[in-house]
Amino acid sequence: MERRRPKIPRPVVAGLCLAVVLDTAIQIAWKLAVSGIPAGASATATLAGALASPFFYAAMLAFGAQMWNWLRVLARADLSFAQPFTALSYISVLTLSSHSLHESLSLAKIAGVGLILLGVFLISRTPSLTGGVPAAPAPDGRRLRP
Amino acid sequence: MTAKPTGLMLVAAAMAVESFAQMFLKIGAGGGPRILSQRFRDLAGRSRLGRSAGAWIGLGIAAYALEILLYTLALHRLDVSVAFPLGSLCFVGVALLSQWLLGEAVGPIRWLGVACILAGTVFLAL
Repeated sequence: MERRRPKIPRPVVAGLCLAVVLDTAIQIAWKLAVSGIPAGASATATLAGALASPFFYAAMLAFGAQMWNWLRVLARADLSFAQPFTALSYISVLTLSSHSLHESLSLAKIAGVGLILLGVFLISRTPSLTGGVPAAPAPDGRRLRP
Repeated sequence: MTAKPTGLMLVAAAMAVESFAQMFLKIGAGGGPRILSQRFRDLAGRSRLGRSAGAWIGLGIAAYALEILLYTLALHRLDVSVAFPLGSLCFVGVALLSQWLLGEAVGPIRWLGVACILAGTVFLAL
């Protein structure tokens, strides 16, 4: 195993990319589903409003796909490796919503995006699976521990 | 605002629940309690339900539903600029649980990455 430059297995890379795309889709669809509901609406009115929106069902569909994809990622990578990548969806949601609202990007937002990208980059340089990527599971089902 | 301490507690609870939800999903995806640290592996392996990967996934999805409820309630009481960076505390929770219960090697670089993400969300919320 290469220790210095850990190679992330291709299914993990694909899964992480898909996770960010689906996470973004879920958040945008969710926002669109509840955006028409007045802020002071009761819980039942909020629920009824959401259920009447096609975006609610789009969000649920994307959520189901996300769950399937995420379990596939977690089967191949450390949780503490994979989960921080989902922070990238903060950036994609911000970019999409600020684009549609014609908001200008402040210096603080640029710094925030930079820090998140740096954090995810640092994590991507660590080995994706503790004990390395096994060719086959050990006969006793145990994993190597550092 | 008197609603604020309640809101902060709700966010903290939501993030703790989400961290556990992620860990439950990881146990399910990883093939059951055999990926847990020795102590917890023996504990979880004692019952038939604890050995079933599907039960862990179900538990993870249930915890997720609870997290969405708690976070939604918190958003009613807190400003988004407060709730949003606090929401990224789940990255810390996940790293801690991964290290303690799953025995993952969360080294200094991974921790530094988590710290950068946390700081980044604070800036995004400004």
